[in-house]
Amino acid sequence: MIRSTLLVACAAAFAMSAMAQSPAPAGNAELGSQKVQMCQGCHGIPGWRTAYPEVYQVPKIAGQHPAYLVKALQDYKSGARMHPSMRAIAASLSDADMANIAAYYAQTGLRGTP
Amino acid sequence: MTGLRCIAGVIALTAWLTAGLAAAADAEAAKKIVTGTCQACHGMDGNSAIPDNPKLAGQHRDYLAKALRDYKSGARKNPIMAGFAGTLSPQDIDDLAAYFSSQPAVLQSRM
Repeated sequence: MIRSTLLVACAAAFAMSAMAQSPAPAGNAELGSQKVQMCQGCHGIPGWRTAYPEVYQVPKIAGQHPAYLVKALQDYKSGARMHPSMRAIAASLSDADMANIAAYYAQTGLRGTP
Repeated sequence: MTGLRCIAGVIALTAWLTAGLAAAADAEAAKKIVTGTCQACHGMDGNSAIPDNPKLAGQHRDYLAKALRDYKSGARKNPIMAGFAGTLSPQDIDDLAAYFSSQPAVLQSRM
């Protein structure tokens, strides 16, 4: 009896951890496309570099996993990830905006080479 | 004069060979780290199949290096990456950034 209870508890814990890793809710790429004007100035230009506080090429985000893009935006908003411009931009976005923008960029990358 | 030219030629040739050898060694060093650590979550070529983990293949080299440095310093907070990046030397970081940035990419810069 104790053993079967333990098994059930383990199975439940496993199921919960699997659920915790499931992808973020799918965003709406169409709505996302209306919010990306502020992204394009840096992420839409091949080889564009940051100017402050460090100089490096801004990451390519078209074709990236949407769940990761949402997490990146959440981390900028919370301050877990630091970048002055990205922090300000992410702070202006709702959870739904983030999901929509992520869906847009994930899909944009699948359209093939420009 | 011919002697000077000859010396300059030897120096240039040595520099070229050394650069070539160093680049080859870097890729091999990176592959060892990738095989042992990175590939479990990001895939051997950096085209991660797991939605929560970013694709690294074809990402800009300097951005990848900065991400690893930031994980190592704690400027970027991620408990999993902090553990891995903390063990990397500056040379390892350069090797890994060069390796992943040169893999066949899905990622693009576009509107």
